[in-house]
Amino acid sequence: MALFVVFQTTFFLTLLSLRTYQSEVLAERLPLTPVSLKVSTNSIHQSLHLQWTVHNLPYHQELKMVFQIQISRIETSNVVWVGNYSTTVKWNQVLHWSWESELPLECATHFVRMKSVMDDASFPEPNFWSNWSSWEEVSVQDSLGRGILFVFPKDKLVEEGSNVTICYVSRNIQNNVSCYLEGKQIHGEQLDPHVTAFNLNSVPFIRNRGTNIYCEASQGNVSKGIEGIVLFVSKVLEEPKDFSCETQDFKTLHCTWDPGTDTALGWSKQPSQSYTLFESFSGEKKLCTHKNWCNWQITQDSQETYNFTLIAENYLRKRSVNILFNLTHRVYLMNPFSVNFENVNATNAIMTWKVHSMRNNFTYLCQIELHGEGKMMQYDVSIKVNGEYFLSELEPATEYMARVRCADASHFWKWSEWSGQNFTTLEAAPSEAPDVWRSVNSEPGNHTVTLFWKPLSKLHANGKILFYNVVVENLDKPSRSELRSIPAPANSTKLILDRCSYQICVTANNSVGASPASIIVISVDPENKEVEEERIAGTDGRFSLSWKPQPGDIIGYVVDWCDHPQDVLQWKNVGPNTTSTVISTDAFRPGVRYDFRIYGLSTKRIACLLEKKTGYSQELAPSDNPHVLVDMLTSHSFTLSWKDYSTESQPGFIQGYHVYLKSKARQCHPRFQKAVLSDGSECCKYKIDNPEEKALIVDNLKPESSYEFFVTPFTSAGEGPNATFTKVTTPDEHSSMLIHILLPMVFCVLLIMIVCYLKSQWIKETCYPDIPDPYKSSILSLIKFKENPHLTIMNVSDCIPDAIEVVSKPEGTKIQILGTRKSLTETELTKPNYLYLLPTEKNHSGPGPCICFENFTYNQAASDSGFCGHVPVSPKAPPSMLGLMTSPENVLKALEKNYMNSLGEVPAGETSLNYVSQLASPMSGDKDSLPTNPVEPPHCSEYKMQMAVPLRLALPRPTENSSLSSITLLDPGEHYR
Amino acid sequence: LPPPAHLCLLTLLLPPLSSAAPISLAESISQAYSLALYMQKNTSVLLQTYLQYQGSPFSDPGFSAPELQLSSLPPATAFFKTWRTLDDGERLSLAQGAFLALTQHLQLVRDDQSDLNPGSPILLAQLGTARLRAQGLLGNMAAIMTALGLPMPPEEDTLGLVTFGASAFERKCLGYVVTREYGHWTDRAVRDLALLKAKYPA
Repeated sequence: MALFVVFQTTFFLTLLSLRTYQSEVLAERLPLTPVSLKVSTNSIHQSLHLQWTVHNLPYHQELKMVFQIQISRIETSNVVWVGNYSTTVKWNQVLHWSWESELPLECATHFVRMKSVMDDASFPEPNFWSNWSSWEEVSVQDSLGRGILFVFPKDKLVEEGSNVTICYVSRNIQNNVSCYLEGKQIHGEQLDPHVTAFNLNSVPFIRNRGTNIYCEASQGNVSKGIEGIVLFVSKVLEEPKDFSCETQDFKTLHCTWDPGTDTALGWSKQPSQSYTLFESFSGEKKLCTHKNWCNWQITQDSQETYNFTLIAENYLRKRSVNILFNLTHRVYLMNPFSVNFENVNATNAIMTWKVHSMRNNFTYLCQIELHGEGKMMQYDVSIKVNGEYFLSELEPATEYMARVRCADASHFWKWSEWSGQNFTTLEAAPSEAPDVWRSVNSEPGNHTVTLFWKPLSKLHANGKILFYNVVVENLDKPSRSELRSIPAPANSTKLILDRCSYQICVTANNSVGASPASIIVISVDPENKEVEEERIAGTDGRFSLSWKPQPGDIIGYVVDWCDHPQDVLQWKNVGPNTTSTVISTDAFRPGVRYDFRIYGLSTKRIACLLEKKTGYSQELAPSDNPHVLVDMLTSHSFTLSWKDYSTESQPGFIQGYHVYLKSKARQCHPRFQKAVLSDGSECCKYKIDNPEEKALIVDNLKPESSYEFFVTPFTSAGEGPNATFTKVTTPDEHSSMLIHILLPMVFCVLLIMIVCYLKSQWIKETCYPDIPDPYKSSILSLIKFKENPHLTIMNVSDCIPDAIEVVSKPEGTKIQILGTRKSLTETELTKPNYLYLLPTEKNHSGPGPCICFENFTYNQAASDSGFCGHVPVSPKAPPSMLGLMTSPENVLKALEKNYMNSLGEVPAGETSLNYVSQLASPMSGDKDSLPTNPVEPPHCSEYKMQMAVPLRLALPRPTENSSLSSITLLDPGEHYR
Repeated sequence: LPPPAHLCLLTLLLPPLSSAAPISLAESISQAYSLALYMQKNTSVLLQTYLQYQGSPFSDPGFSAPELQLSSLPPATAFFKTWRTLDDGERLSLAQGAFLALTQHLQLVRDDQSDLNPGSPILLAQLGTARLRAQGLLGNMAAIMTALGLPMPPEEDTLGLVTFGASAFERKCLGYVVTREYGHWTDRAVRDLALLKAKYPA
């Protein structure tokens, strides 16, 4: 037993000692220093990666340890970061830890060291920090390679608004390096002679292709090199907005959201953010392929509640939104279908539709919208699968559009889309009588009534009006009423009625029926009443009319007028208690006169003309000036008149006329006023206030003065157009007197002449009685009585009273002997020709330049030999002039005419001849021939004395031609064949 | 078909047949020269378009960084005397080597830009066209060398040396150097071919 006790004691002691030993061993080794510290760099993430081990750890034991890490930059004393890292450590475990550097690692040498401490509950306190490990140096600069300038970090991805440190390493400190961010110079902090760092705070997003930062090394002005980086600045990822899910069929959940800004960057640096849908109850996850919606398949019918998380993610950030909902509360119905209308009539219809069935015993709330006639009505109805609604109070013959949408009635989430259909109600009989008016033209024996009606409004027509029925009924004589149907677009008809009273009923008819009748009665004498026309003035294209209330039973008033220029009768109905109205249409035009007639309608439907009004909606100035006539022009006055000017057909009421008068005198005449014309000239103006006074006497004028006048009418809107003045000159004062004297004188002379004409016989007898015929004279009887047989009465025809020698002109001379019917023209003569009117014996006496008259008055011999004996009367006589002149009287007459009465009258009864003229002019009047005659014969009119002068001496020698010509001339047979 | 129509069809068919036949040296030189001249007109547009899309400092007015060079791309600049004393074969093979490198580099730049500037079809199209023209000029030069009886230089992968981990800025710089050198080499090719043209007149 003692042995057992001893053994037991020994065992315990041994155990205790072992425990003690163990503790001592651990205590000796502690603190456990980290060993084999290796530091590597990750250029992309700009991080230091540390790995180390802890030696002497108990085998198969996990101990919790804390490592304190120190990081220095450039030199070990410059500690930039100190931190603890706690972890459980196993035997022989390699530990890893990373540290991200703000400053690009390439720009500075980093130093890392660490120490550790046991932080395990299984070890009693106190614990001691181990010693620091040795500094581990990390330098990337050596691996940069050749080059004079380097900028870091390359292609870094940062979020908008974050802070970034960049740096450059310049191999040659002689170089001057300047750095720019998007063209703007930035200033940094020099870390060592080769390295400068720039802290960029809150970097902005410029573009998704990145922000260029570059540095330029230069010596003086010589660029040595350029180096840069692209900093990819991403927009901050936004939380998805308006995230919601709904189902249309309990099979698929359709989730939508607003994704916000796209954070994709160029150069594949960052793609667009991804969206993931996670449902927490089922634990299922789905990566969404679209950026704003995702469909989730409902797999379990039993799942009623869903908890969705939408996760948006990019390289820099993750954002999520969450919704929790009951599936039945998120029912978005499909739009209703089979929308139809049944039992459509004029005023109501039944609308039916169907809803896609969701689950049994589902109740739907539906909303109906009815659009028609510019109005909208809304109705709500609760239905099961099949919907039906009774649409009432519809307008006939109207197209309606009805549409319906539905929602879950028990848990309203949202309305479905609309489903609609159009329908048209049927026609109904027109509901109102057409508005009818008439115009009556009375003619002897009958009157022509033109009926007008206005088309019914759509509201009252209740369909398409097809025709109008006009029923004419004679009220005085029982006769059959006459029916006329007028096809629809017409709005008037003409009736010729005799002088009886007629009742006219007009109805509008559509396919269903007729409207109530509009009744008008035409009395026997419809418009005989003389009513004075009153002038009114329109304002702003409207007329205000008022009239005296009519005693007696009046059921209303009608105002009618004509539209211009269409000349369409217009009318307006006015209630019986109203005595004024305003007529206003767009058709009223300025300058057009409108005549309004106001009728009262009696209970018997007879229209009675009450008043007439006329006026202009806007008066205009006259468009033309009158044509003015000037009358009664005297030296002191004249009268202007323009009687033809019509005052009615003017674009305004003519109020009068302005007469403008211009004269040289400065002073205006009495009644005239001075006025200045538009062209600045002064004149006198006279105003006539009466439009019917169309004449003006302008007096007090000066004789022999010129006046200018111009007459223009005026309305309230002004005068007529400018026109030119007309000139009037007053005559001389004496000239009028002269006229006073001259006219009677002319009259007297005329009177005398007429008297003379009438009494010509008497005058003749008185002043120059007929020469008595000797044969018929009483003397004859007396002679016979004395019986003297030798004594005869000389016959004038037997005598050749004289011989005239006419000396013809040279060649080309025309010799005209104007007889009663003959003229002789001798153009062939080249030598002077002479016409001799001689006794035939001297036929061939030479021609001479003179016309010689032998004055037989003084030729005693001839006188003695007897006058008659000198004249060849024998038939042998050559056909000289005698042949031309049928009788000696003719010769005489010809001579009388051509030779200035050279022979004068030869009174047959006188024995002695009176030779009146002693002169004779050359016969030839043709001067053309004169220059052709080289030897112009001296002009000579010779009075032949009684001396016998041989003619040949005085005359040029005749040539053969001349003699021939003479012969020719004297031979009428040659010339007048 | 009436006989004239037959003739027309024949004439339409003839040119492809004739083009297949070997063309003369002068013709080859003339074709290459025309192409080089045409390329020369568009090189500055390509460079400007490229720079415009790269941001500052590239898009800054008057940007120029002659110190930027690519080891994988032979420089176009040369001393005149050296260049002038080169024989035809040397001159042509230098140009060929450069345009071979340029076609590869232009493809690289286009790839980079389609990644960085996907929304810039104009730049991408211009880069693609420039590459095709460079290839066309290479073909023309090969024809000349064949006509001259010169040995063809071996095709080598000049871009094998390009590091794919280049940063965005480095790639922008590379694109700049490539488009710039493309212009310089085109200018030089025009001079090369002008010299040849004078030497081998038509």
